[in-house]
Amino acid sequence: MNEFIEAQVAFGWEDLRSSYDVVIVGGGGHGLSTAYHLATRHGMTNVAVLERGYIGSGNSGRNTTIIRANYGIPEAVRFYQRSVDLYSRLEEESGRWIMHDRKGLLWLVHGTPGTRHERARSIVNQAFGADTVYVTPEEVRQICPEVDLNAGGGEYRVTGGSYSPHAATARHDRVVWTLAEGAMKLGVHVHQRTAVTGLLRSGDRITGVLTDRGPVAAGVVVSAVGGHVSTLAAMAGVRLPIRTHPLQAFVTNHYSRSFRPIVASADMGFYVSQTPRGEMLLGAGIDSQPSYSYRSSYEFLSHCSLPAVTLLPFLRNLTILRQWAGVCDMSVDLSPIMGYTGVDGFLVTTGWGTWGFKGIPAGGEQMAELIATDRTPELIAPFSLNRFKEDRLMFDPGSTGTTH
Amino acid sequence: MTRPGKVIDFDGTQVPFEAGDTVLTAVFRAGLRPWGGCLCADGDCPYCLVTLGGVSYVRACRTPAVEGMKVASHPSGGYPPLPSSTRAPTGESAVGFEMVHCDTVVIGQGRSGREAAAEAEERGRRVATLDARAGTEAVGVYPGPEVVARTPEGMARIFSEEVVVATGSVEAQPVCPGNQLAGILTRRAAEGLAASGVDLGRVVSVGRPPEGVGHEPARGRLVGFEGEGVVRRVVTRDEETGAERAYPCDTAVVGLGSGPRDTLARMAHGLPGARAVGSAAGHLDRPPVPEAGVVCPCSEVTVDDLRSVWDRGFHELELIKRSTLAGTGACQGAVCMPHVRSFVAAGGQELPPSFTARPVVTQITMGEAAAGWYHHPDRRTALHDEHLALGARMERSGGWLRPWTYGDADREYWAVRSGVSICDVSTLGKILVSGPDADAFLERIYPTGISPLRPGRAKYVLVLDERGYVFDDGLVCREGANRFLLTSTSAGAGHFEMWLRDWAEAWKMDVRILDRTASWGAINVTGPRSGEFLSRLGAADRLPPFMGHTEMEVAGVACRVMRLSFTGEISYELHHQASESRRLWHALMESGADLGVWPHGLEVLEELRLEKGHILVGVDSLPDSTPRRLGHGWAVRMDKADFLGKPAVARTSRMELDRLLVGLEMDGGPPPQGAILRVKGDYAGFVTSTTWSRVLGRSVILAWLYARDGAFAGDILIDGRPARKVAVPFYDPEGSRVRA
Repeated sequence: MNEFIEAQVAFGWEDLRSSYDVVIVGGGGHGLSTAYHLATRHGMTNVAVLERGYIGSGNSGRNTTIIRANYGIPEAVRFYQRSVDLYSRLEEESGRWIMHDRKGLLWLVHGTPGTRHERARSIVNQAFGADTVYVTPEEVRQICPEVDLNAGGGEYRVTGGSYSPHAATARHDRVVWTLAEGAMKLGVHVHQRTAVTGLLRSGDRITGVLTDRGPVAAGVVVSAVGGHVSTLAAMAGVRLPIRTHPLQAFVTNHYSRSFRPIVASADMGFYVSQTPRGEMLLGAGIDSQPSYSYRSSYEFLSHCSLPAVTLLPFLRNLTILRQWAGVCDMSVDLSPIMGYTGVDGFLVTTGWGTWGFKGIPAGGEQMAELIATDRTPELIAPFSLNRFKEDRLMFDPGSTGTTH
Repeated sequence: MTRPGKVIDFDGTQVPFEAGDTVLTAVFRAGLRPWGGCLCADGDCPYCLVTLGGVSYVRACRTPAVEGMKVASHPSGGYPPLPSSTRAPTGESAVGFEMVHCDTVVIGQGRSGREAAAEAEERGRRVATLDARAGTEAVGVYPGPEVVARTPEGMARIFSEEVVVATGSVEAQPVCPGNQLAGILTRRAAEGLAASGVDLGRVVSVGRPPEGVGHEPARGRLVGFEGEGVVRRVVTRDEETGAERAYPCDTAVVGLGSGPRDTLARMAHGLPGARAVGSAAGHLDRPPVPEAGVVCPCSEVTVDDLRSVWDRGFHELELIKRSTLAGTGACQGAVCMPHVRSFVAAGGQELPPSFTARPVVTQITMGEAAAGWYHHPDRRTALHDEHLALGARMERSGGWLRPWTYGDADREYWAVRSGVSICDVSTLGKILVSGPDADAFLERIYPTGISPLRPGRAKYVLVLDERGYVFDDGLVCREGANRFLLTSTSAGAGHFEMWLRDWAEAWKMDVRILDRTASWGAINVTGPRSGEFLSRLGAADRLPPFMGHTEMEVAGVACRVMRLSFTGEISYELHHQASESRRLWHALMESGADLGVWPHGLEVLEELRLEKGHILVGVDSLPDSTPRRLGHGWAVRMDKADFLGKPAVARTSRMELDRLLVGLEMDGGPPPQGAILRVKGDYAGFVTSTTWSRVLGRSVILAWLYARDGAFAGDILIDGRPARKVAVPFYDPEGSRVRA
């Protein structure tokens, strides 16, 4: 028996009712986290999460499982640090093992402009509660001896980087299941294979959803959809500043675990970590062409492998096991969008781009508070949809590049 | 020392082999049985994986034995270790790589594959065939369609119109107690080994018997295998009487039928031009519901494990996979998926169609995947070698490699401020726009008046997007009624050119857009003595006035000379054919020796421009910087009829200004880029550019300052030190030096 065989979580599936106080569309991390926090923090349990496929079948089960708060603007550092903190407490709170592993993230640079950038990152991180520090090449070597500091024969010489000890990974599926089970135990319904096909309206207000299993009335409808969020929002008459792009990743075969940190290079365009199972997991930036396609490309394998074996030569002989893709809702300012939409009864949590996994606990916690209190919590007020109208975008240099 | 016959080293044992042997055949021939599980000897099962030449997860059944080869089995009960090398290998031959273009690719050369290839050739098509048994293995089928293959020569990317998947069938694996013992073979594996002359000892077969192998057939249904490490008995149950019987054996051979080897077919499914033929296109008969034993050997998942997660509410196939990891190991579900599907179906769950298969099917190394690929090219100017010869340290900047410093920043700086200096600015975007609509086109592009600009004059311009945000800046030089030279930032040139073309197309305007960024070099001659210097080079009397430009020869090189200033001193940008860059550079360096002419790099340029308060778009600006936020409202003419972004600028300028790019001065050393501004202890912004000003004797800074209660406070602290908000430029605010 392997340690990955789930031996803790147990689901209690229920029949679909015709009405709930809250209907959350999308049974991924954010939808389930919102339900979990509604139930555990606010005692709201007349809640249903509707999932078109199976829970965690979208990006929650396709991401590279990195948890970090080393963002570039104060609002984001605060928000993601909250998520980092909630993640580190989730095992104790739930009694479930999500394989949370605080392993630290090295973000390497290869020249003076990058060096300045990483110093700036460490400054804004420390000011807003994240423990990112600037590191010299010698410190890089101590944290990760596998890095070739003279990478590419000097062409990609490592000139320094930032190091975020708080950065962690957790098993993505287990996060999804822990939140689902925790919500279900308190009475929340989670319905798989239930596709939302339309919205119910009364006047200007959204009053429920139409599903392929019939209509479901709701006091509030929350879109926690990934990928096709623009379609659902359009049903409510809400236009979102979002484009959906594929994001690819791959893993190697399994090797005994010895590679400790998460290592990234924005200049070289890839990042890597070793999973709890021992696979080396690699990713890069989004595909430039917007698409809903889950197809992988060989270009991706090549353009991700070359810099990786250049910076970390030991990767050269590892065999590739599997590659895959997810689709990311990229907001124009590369920050999430949470809260009211201007349409009564319809809320969104979206724009999770390539940073959705990191935001699951805090995103759900804050959305639940908003739903329960009907007030936008201070932590996510900067991320409201209104910001696009009000010309106060949240462009975050720390969320862009390749490393998410 | 000579050895009798040819041998390989297998886990320290010298194993002789015969011509044509794979490692697996040689190991069996030597009587070794190192691998547990039912071996297929055909690339599907995960049992014969070995480490060879530093690469693990190599299939012994696909590896020809070669004299002196050192082969190690994987550690039992664990994964192979990560290799430890921290240096790129030297002297190792690179992995071969080729791009192949043809009409039809046929994957698999069994009967249906050969037929498909012959049929395509008859149609006159150029056909490429792949045959894993002959060492040309398909790695994956990708959109295109594109087939990637590993061949004895290296990696191949094959582009075609048609992809025919003819990978044949894969044999069913037994799921029962004891199925992980060594000495179990599929029917075809046993036939192959026997044909190679391998002695399999006492063979008991279950199910369809092997051909050409002496064996005792076991009657009834397979119950399990028994033995310690190696199979010693096959146990079957009589279907009618229920009686069990054990058959003693040395080798157990299993013939449980076969299904399509359809991983590649599923990967190709839905791609135009791709189809499966023969057994690969066949239907999989669902195997019996597994009752006991290991289902997924890669992840060590038993039937009991499947039951356990099922009982926890994991009823979806994908959830069962994810909650046990069945099907996600080295064989990617080849062994277990049919059985897991049967298990799910037995639970009454509707089965989704076989999941989309993901690459890769043949495990290549990352080194192999990297073959044929290139690092991001960093462009070099025509003067790259000149910079290196002067000892320059090069840095990446805006997609280019540029000189950062020539080793003595003081010398570089003072050459500009008090003498004459040159700088390679070839990286600037340089775009010619001409045609009947050129004037009207640029009038719509730029937020400032273009029509009033006279020939021979230049103007600083911002470039706005539709949202009214600044994404580039540069110059417009009018050469004639409908002919202009535009410059843009080095990093933004590519985007700017596309931007122009998009709008010319959208507005259907009659303009020609010619990108000269790469074909023209540019050298900036700057410093109080630059005019005097250029006069010596044949430019006397004809040098343009400030913000003027003209064509002339400098040192015998045809140049467009623009007089402007980024450094704060008199500056002449000499734009010329890039092929002349070196000649011009050397002429400048040599003829100015007595004036102390010396080049400056980006590090000093950064200081010079910052002293003048010039912004660097992309460094000082954010992607949502309006001209007003940048303090550049003066570069926008709202009384123009129209320009790109005008409605957005009009809308945002009615809102309260929330942040402003400001100039700050501090005594003492400069704070770092990114340093935080605080007002009364609260966050109030951050530093975007910062330097110690040699000429002013204090630190000068550009920073974003956020409004508090609608106002921009003056009592700013950075790292606990006071910073004074001042007007920019910091240096020569009247601009008398640039106009001198």
